[in-house]
Amino acid sequence: MSVPPDFQAKLDVDDGTATVWLSGELDSRSAAVLDELVTRAVEQRVRRIVLLAGELTYLSSAGLRCLVFAHQKLGRTGDIVLVGARPEVAETIRLTGFDRAIVMQSRAEP
Amino acid sequence: MAARRLLVNSGHDVNGVLAGLVAELAAQGGLAAPQAYRLRLAADEITTNIACHGYRGAPGVIDLGGYAAHGRVWLSIEDDAPPFDPRGHHPDPRLSAEPPLRAAGGLGLHLALTVVDEFGYEHVRGRNRNTLVLHRERGGHRGATNDGGNDERYDRATRR
Repeated sequence: MSVPPDFQAKLDVDDGTATVWLSGELDSRSAAVLDELVTRAVEQRVRRIVLLAGELTYLSSAGLRCLVFAHQKLGRTGDIVLVGARPEVAETIRLTGFDRAIVMQSRAEP
Repeated sequence: MAARRLLVNSGHDVNGVLAGLVAELAAQGGLAAPQAYRLRLAADEITTNIACHGYRGAPGVIDLGGYAAHGRVWLSIEDDAPPFDPRGHHPDPRLSAEPPLRAAGGLGLHLALTVVDEFGYEHVRGRNRNTLVLHRERGGHRGATNDGGNDERYDRATRR
């Protein structure tokens, strides 16, 4: 299974916060890429994962499982913050109830 | 009628073919972008479920057929896996439990059944046939907007 041609993910870790910039389609083809980044971030003992999702154009349940995976990896004391998700992506998350487990913001906050 | 045959678990770009067919049907039926997105999502989830659980990761065939008429878009998804009616596996009660989600299983079928206007299933001539229907006009459906986002949406979506 090949990663969608337009999917990109970049990780930056600083002062206990992992920032992941996402672009393109997060589905069964690309989920493993994000899982790998989350694993790398958790290995650096981050307390917070910020996902910059403004350029994420598609999210399927396979991609959503990445967020669940990240949530489980961080544990109850960690935070997942999703920033700038497009309406359809936000709706997908909300329909599964996972919006109650993460923080969703329209724009990045300090 | 537009049709495609998907060869799943065979290294083919199933998602790309599916996305192309949905885009074609959405254009024919005049679906707005959010509706086209929902149709693709539902079709993606159903075909992924068939590939993973119906065929259990082994190579298999999924036939897609769709058309647009009278303000609606139909998409049928047929496979030769053992009989399976997704409507009997709706995980709503589990998903309504307090987060974090206990398990991520069932999310795909939940989404597929939720985002379409009509969902049908029948077992005909030894095949599963799932039918997805989107209506062209769905004002105010489930709160999604196509305006590029606004704070009200995030008020609804943000953790309470």
